[in-house]
Amino acid sequence: MYSSFPLLPDSDIQKKIDHEIRMRDGACKLLAACSQKDQALEASKSLQTCSTRIMAYMSELQRMKEAQVMKKVPRRSSDAGPMDDRRPCKGKVAISDLRIPLMWKDTEYFKNKGELHRCAVFCLLQLGGEIFDTDMVIVDRTLTDICFDNTIVFSEANPGFEMRVELYSCCSEDDYSAGNTPRKLASKLSSSLGRSAGKKLRAAMDPGPCSPVSNGGATPLLLPVPSVPGPKYHLLAHTTMSLTHIQDSFRTHDLTISGNEECSYWLPLYGSMCCRLAAQPHCMTQQMMSGCLKVKQLGGDPQSWTKVYGVLKGTSLFCYHRQEDVEANVEPAFTIAINKETRIRASEKDPQSKVQNICISNQYGGEEVTHTLTTDSRDDTHRWMEAFWQHFYDMSQWKQCCDDLMKIELPSPRKPTPVTPKQGSLYHEMVIESSDDLSSTVSDILARRMRELELRSQLGTSPTWMSSLFEENNPKGAGRPRPCTSRFSGHSPCTPHRPPRSPASPHRCPQLSLLSSDASLTSDSDSHCSTSPCSHRHGWPDPSSNFSLLSSSSPSRMRPRTLSLDAKLSTLRGRGFRGGGTFQCSCQPPSSSPLTPISSRSPLSQRSTQTTLSCSSSTSSNSSSNSEGSHSPESSEGAPFSRPSPARRSLRNLRARLDPRNWLQSQV
Amino acid sequence: MSNFMPGQPLVAVVQRIEIKKLRQGENLILGFSIGGGIDQDPGQNPFSDDKADKGIYVTRITPGGPADAANLRMGDKIMQVNGYDMTMMTHDQARKRLTQKKEDVVRLLVTRKSLEEAVKTSMGGCYPRQ
Repeated sequence: MYSSFPLLPDSDIQKKIDHEIRMRDGACKLLAACSQKDQALEASKSLQTCSTRIMAYMSELQRMKEAQVMKKVPRRSSDAGPMDDRRPCKGKVAISDLRIPLMWKDTEYFKNKGELHRCAVFCLLQLGGEIFDTDMVIVDRTLTDICFDNTIVFSEANPGFEMRVELYSCCSEDDYSAGNTPRKLASKLSSSLGRSAGKKLRAAMDPGPCSPVSNGGATPLLLPVPSVPGPKYHLLAHTTMSLTHIQDSFRTHDLTISGNEECSYWLPLYGSMCCRLAAQPHCMTQQMMSGCLKVKQLGGDPQSWTKVYGVLKGTSLFCYHRQEDVEANVEPAFTIAINKETRIRASEKDPQSKVQNICISNQYGGEEVTHTLTTDSRDDTHRWMEAFWQHFYDMSQWKQCCDDLMKIELPSPRKPTPVTPKQGSLYHEMVIESSDDLSSTVSDILARRMRELELRSQLGTSPTWMSSLFEENNPKGAGRPRPCTSRFSGHSPCTPHRPPRSPASPHRCPQLSLLSSDASLTSDSDSHCSTSPCSHRHGWPDPSSNFSLLSSSSPSRMRPRTLSLDAKLSTLRGRGFRGGGTFQCSCQPPSSSPLTPISSRSPLSQRSTQTTLSCSSSTSSNSSSNSEGSHSPESSEGAPFSRPSPARRSLRNLRARLDPRNWLQSQV
Repeated sequence: MSNFMPGQPLVAVVQRIEIKKLRQGENLILGFSIGGGIDQDPGQNPFSDDKADKGIYVTRITPGGPADAANLRMGDKIMQVNGYDMTMMTHDQARKRLTQKKEDVVRLLVTRKSLEEAVKTSMGGCYPRQ
């Protein structure tokens, strides 16, 4: 159910409460009347959601009443001035692609006798006063993950929000008609509720017929709870998300699990949850301020003021020639960046106009560029300054959400549930993504594989433990040997000794995404890369069909490098090119765009940034002398003994340690 | 190295190797690399005989480095470092034990197959305890 209203004063809350009460009554009636199991489950879910919403609205009402009372209390004189009243703008927060992995015991997989133990699950998400539920999914041991396809958008969230995500489940094996509950189940329910009821508000809301605890230790109910026979959902796991969890890509979060194996609604959760949490603060999507301005650039002709219509939105001040241009979507005359690096100050009063000017300074490249703005009246200037301060405040509150605009897909109108059941596992999926036709792709892969095997046999390396994952080689552009960058080595073309590898194929190559080593690594170290200023690119399409933890399928064709590739390369380097110094891995071209230092890896998507970092850091050595078969990201040996910086080494160590396939080696 | 039984006392022929660390900027280095550890997959160790052996092995020697000069060899299993036992350590613990900033010298007890062979052949079957 997607009913949500923006938070409005008293009477609206009351209306919402009434609405939900009616919905709840309807759900109760439906529950009592329906005979089929899945109808009953759906109705019970609606009931649960309605009850939760009612509780939330009631609390909201209570809070508002309290606030009204508080207003009458005089404020303390120690309260600070204007800064206290400044509130950050609100924003949209969206959560999508929820996925919760399961961890069935192997005995479960092979246990073929008897009924499949099935549970119906759904997620309840709460942020502020808005509560949404996802669709219900039936889970049994043939599923390795619980996936919820819904995208849920909360429209009015503060930057300090706390989003509570709760997973409810209900055993869907038994008959629910009244009086027919099997005794074992009933006793299970009662014992499990008795154990955990004290913690859970929800358990208090749905007293089972045989539960010894009906209200638990939770807040007393304000409304009579209908006690309806039928399936009851129980809280299985929950977690809370906040601003720090927001990122424009998938992340894994920990779940707190309630219940234990003896509960009928138990599912063996792995303990984590993956989702994409994005936010669009209003300061990024709406016009925060607009008006007529006169702008001149510092260093220009002092008399040349340009009249523009300025619009402050997102990370820029757009200056249009005319106000009509804004609606007409004409390109602005110019754009002044307003971001965290910008400095704005009011300058001296202009002797001619007697109005203060506003100076905006940015650093473009290494240079500082200053624009001076002025308006026609002192009030206007004041209002613009106020708008800028508010904008800066918003950006400081929303932090990483203001670096770039995150994409939020609005939930599309209800689609019929897909016929193919999701049988995806987070840990065993290999995806080949290509935009060319598949046959040429496959033959390319095969050809390259042959060459690589040839090469390997030439060098005589056959390390038994090296994984034989196939790595893709995907430079763009012409067929000439591509200069590769890495952090330390200069730009030099790939040595011609390696014809099979270096120029590789000039056409666009498919992505061959690789297994869990990168998955776990990416998610853990994403934060490391999130601060790079240009690394967000919201324009890239989201590969929704892939598990994005695995596939780094950014359109710039960055392919994740695994540690075994590092090892392979270092082996090759060590063997043939000791002291050669200039061998670069041709398999890691960032892209054809101008190659810049590592801090502004612009074309890369967030997900592959991590693995790129690994690649470039491990190819940074000039003369490697890794021992044969070493395939962990061992530090390089410069001239003669160099130890990598602790940060890089710890990053590498962390990644290597997380990958169980590797046999770690460290230099001492 | 051979006859390694988890939980049982280990008997091995060892050699004492003393390595003086070399100062490189602000780092003290030994000039070799280690692999293995109780948290690592022992099946991937190319130097061990017994693929269940989770000990710390020398996987690479930097030519001309302090370890090379002290006669450490690739494939050696490190049994003790400055008196601390290395047979039941995680990889990281072992690395830390070798890279203590306050220690200029590490005295290792290492064992290698050739040592055992040599002693076996010369002593005809029974060799001295560690």
